[in-house]
Amino acid sequence: MLDVGRHPNITLLAYSELEKVEGEAGNFTATVRRKARYVEEDKCTGCGACAKVCPTPVEDLYNEGHAKRRAIYSWFAQGIPSTHAIDPDHCRVLSGKKCGICQKKCEAGAINFAQKERVSELYVGAVIVATGYDVFDPVKMPEYRYGQIDNVVTAMEFERFLSASGPTAGHVYRPSDRKVEARIEELEKKVKKSQKVLDRFERNHEITTHEFYGAYKAGNLNPGEDLEKDQDKWAKKYEAHLENARPLKTLREKAKGFTSAKKLAFIQCAGSRDLRFYPFCSGFCCMHSIKEAIIAHEHDNDTCSVIFGMDIRAVGKGFEEYKIRGENNSNVSYKRSRVAEITKDADENPVLIYEDTKEQKVKRQTFDLVVLATACAPAKGNRKIADILKIDVDQYGFFKTDSANPLDTSRSGVFVCGCAQNPMDIPESVAQASSAAARAAQTVINKNDKKAS
Amino acid sequence: MNVKNEILYESPRIGVFVCDCGSNIAGHLDCPDVAEYARTLPDVVYAKENLYTCSEAGIGEIKKAIKEQDLNRVVVASCSPRTHQPLFSSSCAEAGLNPYLFEMVNIRDQCSWVHMGERQNATHKAKKLVRMGVAKSAGLAPLDEIESSLVRKVLVIGGGIAGLSAAQALADMKLDVILVEKTSGFGGLLQQVHRLDSGKSAKETMLTIIDDVCSRPNIVCHTQAKLKETGGYIGNYNVKIETKEGLFEEKAGCIVVATGAVPLVPQGLYGYNGKNVISLMELEKKLKKQEFSAKCVVFIQCAGARTKEKEYCSRICCMIGVKNAMLIKKKHPLTDVRILYRDMQMYGTYKEQMLWNARGMGIRFDVYNPGNPPEVKEGKLEFFQAVTGKTVSLDTDLVVLSTPLVPGNDSGSLANMLRVPTDQNGFFLEAHAKLRPLDFAADGIFVCGSGRYPATSTEARTQGIGAASRVAAILFKEKLVKSAIVADINPDSCVGCMACLSMCPCEAITYNREKQTCEVNEILCKGCGNCAATCPSHSAQLRGFKPEQLLAQIRAV
Amino acid sequence: MTKDILVLGGGIAGIQSSLDLAEMGFKVHLVESLPSIGGKMAQLDKTFPTNDCAI
Ligand SMILES: Cc1cc2nc3c(=O)[nH]c(=O)nc-3n(C[C@H](O)[C@H](O)[C@H](O)COP(=O)(O)OP(=O)(O)OC[C@H]3O[C@@H](n4cnc5c(N)ncnc54)[C@H](O)[C@@H]3O)c2cc1C
Ligand code: SF4
Ligand code: SF4
Repeated sequence: MLDVGRHPNITLLAYSELEKVEGEAGNFTATVRRKARYVEEDKCTGCGACAKVCPTPVEDLYNEGHAKRRAIYSWFAQGIPSTHAIDPDHCRVLSGKKCGICQKKCEAGAINFAQKERVSELYVGAVIVATGYDVFDPVKMPEYRYGQIDNVVTAMEFERFLSASGPTAGHVYRPSDRKVEARIEELEKKVKKSQKVLDRFERNHEITTHEFYGAYKAGNLNPGEDLEKDQDKWAKKYEAHLENARPLKTLREKAKGFTSAKKLAFIQCAGSRDLRFYPFCSGFCCMHSIKEAIIAHEHDNDTCSVIFGMDIRAVGKGFEEYKIRGENNSNVSYKRSRVAEITKDADENPVLIYEDTKEQKVKRQTFDLVVLATACAPAKGNRKIADILKIDVDQYGFFKTDSANPLDTSRSGVFVCGCAQNPMDIPESVAQASSAAARAAQTVINKNDKKAS
Repeated sequence: MNVKNEILYESPRIGVFVCDCGSNIAGHLDCPDVAEYARTLPDVVYAKENLYTCSEAGIGEIKKAIKEQDLNRVVVASCSPRTHQPLFSSSCAEAGLNPYLFEMVNIRDQCSWVHMGERQNATHKAKKLVRMGVAKSAGLAPLDEIESSLVRKVLVIGGGIAGLSAAQALADMKLDVILVEKTSGFGGLLQQVHRLDSGKSAKETMLTIIDDVCSRPNIVCHTQAKLKETGGYIGNYNVKIETKEGLFEEKAGCIVVATGAVPLVPQGLYGYNGKNVISLMELEKKLKKQEFSAKCVVFIQCAGARTKEKEYCSRICCMIGVKNAMLIKKKHPLTDVRILYRDMQMYGTYKEQMLWNARGMGIRFDVYNPGNPPEVKEGKLEFFQAVTGKTVSLDTDLVVLSTPLVPGNDSGSLANMLRVPTDQNGFFLEAHAKLRPLDFAADGIFVCGSGRYPATSTEARTQGIGAASRVAAILFKEKLVKSAIVADINPDSCVGCMACLSMCPCEAITYNREKQTCEVNEILCKGCGNCAATCPSHSAQLRGFKPEQLLAQIRAV
Repeated sequence: MTKDILVLGGGIAGIQSSLDLAEMGFKVHLVESLPSIGGKMAQLDKTFPTNDCAI
C-alpha cells in the first residue's frame, strides 16, 4: 500500500468518482470527479491533531459501526493517503453552525472549509476495473435474526473485534455485554450529575437525602422553613436519581460476570448458495471463518469454535492443511449442516437450531457468539460503472469475461480483476491483478504501435 | 569498490533534524531540547527542530542546510525508516549529497509512542538514540547504486496453457521468448482432455493458442527440449538447452516456470484396474474417443487426495468430475450418474452454477466419510449413506476415481537447477503465498499454472498472463538498479573458511577455488548482513554498516 | 494516443495492477472512491493462508 503512495508513476486520486469515459481502446478520455475533502492534500501531514479536538462523533464505518470517529477523520490510522477529510454531512461548520476548532488546531494550516470539488480529465489508453465487492447484509435473512439478536454478528464485524486496532482492541467481547457497559457508562454520568445536586442539598440541610426521603414518604418530615416549600421538588429529584442509580447497581452486578466470548459458532453461506439471494459460492468465506476461529483461539486458548457449513471449501494452496491445523491445534470443529434458525436465551446467548446430518436429528446448541459468513455480493455500484464504461455484467452482477480471455470485459481496452469479476481470495486477486496489468500494457503498446506504422 | 574516497576521509559535517511529527513526538518528549543537545555532539555543525520534517517546508530546510552549512552527513530523528527513509535520502540527493550519507533515527515508534506519559525519560532516550545515530553517521561513506544490464529475452519452461499464455502475453509486449517444451507437442494436460468446463472442445481451444504462439516472430519454440543447466542472475541468466539437434546456450533476462503437474495414477485404490475402475483422465480419453458406455457410473472424489500422506485438496477435480458427469448425463440420460464426495469444491459463481445444474439433471450426490470410504468389488459399489443412515449397494459398470494432480517427477530436479524451493507436496513454492503468488523468492524467476498448485485452465491462463506482467515490470526498465547496501568480502583477509556461504539466504556467495576466497555477487546480495555477522576474520562487511560504525553506535549508548 | 492507464478501485487487486504497471514504466491514475486505498483487505485483522497482518 505504501509503495502506491510513493511510486513516482502512480497518481493517487482517492475520494474520487469516475463520471464519464469516452473514446476507444488506446485513446480514452475519462472524467473524474474529486470530492471536496475540505483539507488541502499538499499541506495535511496526517498528524491527526484535528480529529482529536473535533467535538462531533460519527459512526465509524471502517469499524462496521462498532466505534465512533469524528467529523474530521482518516478512513483508518495507516490509510494512504493520510490526508484527513471532513464529512460534510456531520461537520458543524459545513452544516452552518459554529465550530472550526480543527482549523485552529491544525498547525499545517491544511483545513479549508471553502474547498470545492474538482473535475479532471484523464487521457488513458486502457482501463482496469478493480472495484471489488459488497458484503451481503444478513438482515435480509429472517431466520438468523441479525440485528435483533445482539450476539449474531457478521464476519467483517468479527474481523474488527479481532483487530488490535479495532473497537475492542482485539478482545472478543460480546456486543450485548458492550451494550450493557455503554448503558452503565451513560447511567454513571447521569447519576454522577444528580448525585452532585443531592450532595449540595445534604450539605445545606445537614440531612442525608435517604433520611429526608424516608421521612417525606412517611409523612413525618419536620422541615426547616427553607425546606418547607421545596420538599416536593427535592423528593422528585431524589426519585429521579434513584431511577438511574438502581438499574446502575443491577447492571454493575451483571457486568461483573462478563467475560469474552469463548463458544463461537460460524455459520457458512449466509446469503451464498441460496436461491433467495445469491446462488453462487463466495469462495473465501469458509477459509476466513477457519482463520477467525484460529485467531480467536490464539487470543484466548479457552475459545472453541464450531463451523457449520454444507461443504468446507478449503481449495487454495495450503488451505486444506490450514483447516486440519485448525482442528488439531485450535479447538475448531466442522459440522456439515445448514443452520435453520437462531433464537436466543435469557442471557442473550444465541441458540442454533440445525439438523445434524450424521445423526439425522434436529439439534439445539447454545453459543456465546455467532458469526455469519456473509456472501461476497456484487457491488451496488457495478451497474453505474457498467453504464459509464459500457461493459456487460453477468447474470449475478459481476463484470462479465469469458474463459478464453479471463481478464477482458465486453469492451476492448477495458479489463477487470479481483472480486469485481468473481468472488476470490487475496492470492487469486493478486494473480489476476497482474494479469490485468499485462493486458492493459499489451493494449497501449500495440495501439501506440499502430499509430507509428 | 566504487566508493568516492575523497569524502570518506573528509571530516564529517553533520546536520541533525528533529521532527515534532505534530504532537506525535513533541507531545511526549521535548524536541527542542533534543535538537539543542544534538548541537553539542561531536561533528554536528547544525541542528534544527521541525514541525514536520517530511513536509515541503521541512524538506526545504534540509536542502537549504546542506548547501548553506556545507553538510556532508544528514541525520533525521523522526518516524520509521520503512516509510520515510526513501523520501529523505532522495531529498539529500536532490541537494547534491550522496543519498547514502543519510542516517535515520526512529524517535517516534521506538520512543515517543512507547513512552507516553514519561516525558523526561522519553526525552533522555531520544537524546541517546540521536547520539547513536550521529556516531554511526560519521562513518558513512558515499556509495553508488549498483547497476546491471538486462537481456530482454524470456525463457518460458513448459508449453501447457500457462506457458503458452505467458509466451503470448510476453510476445504481445514486444519481448523475445524462448519456449521450451519437454514432450513432442504443446498443449500439456489439455491435449488429453475432452471438453473444457465451458463446453468447448479442449483440443480446438488449444490449437488456436498453439497456432498463434507458433506464428509469432518473437517466440522461438522448442519441443522435445530440456533445460540442462542454468547460471547467472536476474537480467542475465545463462541457460543450456538440450534439443534433438544438440545442446545450445542462450541468455535470458527472466525465467517463467510453467511445467504443470500430472494426475495421480490410482494404483491400489478402490480396485483400480484401468478397465471398469478408471481414473478421471482415463474417462476423458474414453469420452473423447466416444468409447463410453455404462448403465451406472459412480465418481469417487478425493481418490488419493486429502489423506495423511497427501493432505492437500487438488482444487480442480470436483469441477472436472461434475463436468464429465454432466456430459455423460446429457448424452446418456438413462445412465445412473452418481458422485460420492467429501466436500464439493465448487467455489465461485460458475462452478456452483454447474453444481445446481448437475443436480437439476438428476445426477446424484452423496457424501462419504473418509473414515468409512466406499468399497468397490466386482461390479458392486457399497457406501454408507449418511442422510438415510443405511448402507447402499449399487451395481455399477464403471467407477471413476477423481485423483489429484501431483508434481511431475522431474520438478524436483528442475527446482534444484533453478535454485528455487518446492513445498512439502513437491509443488513449486512461491515467494509469498498471499501477496506474491507468481514470484519466486529468487529475483527474475516466476511461476504459473499447476506447477505451483492445481489450477483450472482459466486460472492457469490468467496466471500465465500474470507472470508475463511480473516479467515486464523488470525487463521494461532501461537497466537494473539496486541498492548499494550489499556485502563485500575483502580478498586479502578472507581465509576461505566458507562460513558465510551457508549463511547466505540469497545464494549470493560463491567460493573461488583459484583464489581460495569467498566472493559476493552484488546483484544477488540483498544486504541482510548474515555473512558479516558470521565471518570470523571480519572480511565480510556490509556497506553502510561497517564494524567501526556499529561499534561507534554501541559506544554512544 | 496515450500510454497512461486508469485503474478503478484501490483494493488489493487495484493496488497490484497499479504497481505492476508503474514498475513497467506506465503512468497510472488510481481512482478510489473512499478517502484511503486498501479496500476490504485493510479492514481484515490477519489474512489466510499466511496469517500475517493484512496491510
Ligand atoms: C470477513 C472477510 C474476511 C476475509 N479474509 C480473507 C483472508 O484472510 N484472506 C484472503 O485471502 N481473503 C480474505 N477475504 C477476501 C478478500 O477480502 C478479497 O479477496 C479481497 O478484498 C478482494 O480484493 P479486491 O481488490 O478485488 O476488492 P476490494 O477489497 O473490495 O477493493 C475494491 C476497492 O474499490 C473501491 N471502489 C469501489 N467502487 C469504486 C468506484 N466506483 N470508483 C472508485 N473506487 C471504487 C472500493 O472502495 C475498494 O477500496 C475476506 C473477506 C471477508 C468478507
Ligand atoms: S488536517 Fe491538519 S491537523 Fe488534521 S491531520 Fe492534516 S495536518 Fe494534521
Ligand atoms: S466459501 Fe464456503 S461459506 Fe462461502 S459460499 Fe462457498 S461454501 Fe459457502
